[in-house]
Amino acid sequence: MAEGYLESMVQSRQVSRKLLDVQGLTQDFATIDGRVRVLENVSLQMEKGEIVGIVGESGSGKTTLGLAIIGLLDSPPSEIVSGSIFFEESDILKFSPEQLSLIRGPGIGMVFQESLAALNPVYRTEAQLEESIEVLRRAQKLVLTEGEERKMMIDILENLRLDNPEWVLKKYPHELSGGMRQRVSIAMAIVERPKLLILDEVTTGLDVYVQNRILNILKDLNRRTGTAMMFITHDLLVASQICDRLYVMYAGKVVEKGRTENILSAPAHPYTQKLFAAIPQGFVDSPPLPVSTGEAPDLRRLPAGCKFHPRCPFVMQKCKEVEPPVFATDQGTTAMCWLLEKK
Amino acid sequence: MSNIVEVNNLTVSFIVRTGNLLLFERGGGMMSVVNDVSFNVREGETFGLAGETGSGKSVIAWALVGLMTPRSGSVNLLGKEIDFRKKADVTYLRRYVGIVFQDPVGSLNPRLRVKDIIREALVASRAFDRRDYDSRIEGTVDLVGLRKSSLDAYPRELSGGEKQRVSLARAIVVPKKLVILDEPTSSLDVSVQAQVLNTLKELKSKLGLSYFFITHDINVMKYMSDTLGILYYGKLLEVGRTYDVVTNPKHPFTMRLMANVPGLKRAKPQEEGERLGSQGSSPTGCVYSKVCPRVFEKCSNSPPMFNLGSDHQAACFLYDKTS
Repeated sequence: MAEGYLESMVQSRQVSRKLLDVQGLTQDFATIDGRVRVLENVSLQMEKGEIVGIVGESGSGKTTLGLAIIGLLDSPPSEIVSGSIFFEESDILKFSPEQLSLIRGPGIGMVFQESLAALNPVYRTEAQLEESIEVLRRAQKLVLTEGEERKMMIDILENLRLDNPEWVLKKYPHELSGGMRQRVSIAMAIVERPKLLILDEVTTGLDVYVQNRILNILKDLNRRTGTAMMFITHDLLVASQICDRLYVMYAGKVVEKGRTENILSAPAHPYTQKLFAAIPQGFVDSPPLPVSTGEAPDLRRLPAGCKFHPRCPFVMQKCKEVEPPVFATDQGTTAMCWLLEKK
Repeated sequence: MSNIVEVNNLTVSFIVRTGNLLLFERGGGMMSVVNDVSFNVREGETFGLAGETGSGKSVIAWALVGLMTPRSGSVNLLGKEIDFRKKADVTYLRRYVGIVFQDPVGSLNPRLRVKDIIREALVASRAFDRRDYDSRIEGTVDLVGLRKSSLDAYPRELSGGEKQRVSLARAIVVPKKLVILDEPTSSLDVSVQAQVLNTLKELKSKLGLSYFFITHDINVMKYMSDTLGILYYGKLLEVGRTYDVVTNPKHPFTMRLMANVPGLKRAKPQEEGERLGSQGSSPTGCVYSKVCPRVFEKCSNSPPMFNLGSDHQAACFLYDKTS
């Protein structure tokens, strides 16, 4: 059985086509201090069934990107300056709110970082899931009996390897552990059968093997249903375990992108290298961790030229003046860094 | 090398109430969240405590600063036995033990400026002359790597890393022997975490501190601690030198934990046969026996710590040589 199952998966991967195409997305926030550019010229492509990681520190714009794609940013204060987001070949930025609400859920689902804040504290799990099923029912004009609905809920929770689904359904969010709560949030998103699932820091704050368990569940889900996933995280280690491709973001820009194994074996951008170096690897007698000097970038006062140059160990005169374009590396990745310019 | 703190058979319990208030039912009892835990923190070293969420790591930390009163067991600080019922003893404990809490937002008073937050610790200790406060505060802020300008800031104006440095400054402004670090970096970005970890290591050698370091991140744990204890449902399952525990884990739980440590090599996460939600300790017996892959008859008894040589101990009957 397993063999045929795997083959069918390979098949579906081969015929896969573009699911999401973000083209040159530039986004501003209006603040008291004036306009702040939070995303600049971000382009990102995802195929059906792919797991793509968005990696960067706080303030790099990774969550904003996720929210922009699912259309949850209020305007004002946010404003899309230029660019387009094609989901299944239609530009969803041009959609009316009604059209968008049909995409949200069955088209694009999102799981938020803080499961405690994302779940309604006065609803039991079953009521939260009912809400999601309602969305699916409206979008696909399904007719479900109460029994079918119940079965669907239990099925999905079992698939997320929750031990006692009946028990979980009766609990309020605060009665569940962090790992269980996160899985309930995931259940709410996947019960709508999204084609693209945006996962924003879903494993942050969970301990190692609750984290591993969730990664396994997500991988399994991806393999079985072909749901594409956008995995937003600040943790390169976690991203490297689950993602096919990575986008590394810094100060609202994609500074490096490529296949995970290529970025892992040879990170091209000095920022990506810094991110790797900051992960403690040795034992207690190892030397201090090499850390980037300087502060995280202040989006209101970004430097000229390359945005990373004040913290970059390889900074050249050129970096301070001209912003580097995207260069290709020998590993098939691309990065925005003058060091990669072919002389 | 002498021990800063010796903890023997520490048990901390919570009162659990059950029953229906409306029906005037009464029930419940004591639940031990930390059960018979013993360990020592050596002078100048870092004792790392790892374990899952809810295993009782923070409760041990709270007990060590007198925020929780143990039900039984003893805590010996610098050769003095602490009686938690005596106020003087708890004051003595807090004089030498500082703590940095996990949540940098929740543990700083939002209405106080940074300098006043740090000053509170000085005032409470009554160990210094009022005239020396400012110079001490400035000196400490410098030590932990905060800018002087942040002294007048409110917590909300600071980044996560800076807030954790304020917490650290508050913990050590009155010189301490032991600093308890309860997940000090788990809310920080990797690069900020690296900076804070470096500062912590630097401070430790500069001020001759010892650390009691709590984290669930094994990579951080390896990098920071000399001795490592593994806690599971209130029980210490394994303790030993960090290198031994990480490279040669003995307890089945530790083995699984170490196999799950994410590394830079792209490895497939271990799939374990165990199921979550089925924990909960049987009243007698090994706390891990319900989910342990190597469980056998003996495990229905509570295992004592078995010595495995060179400071390495595990609470598992697999190492019982008498059988």
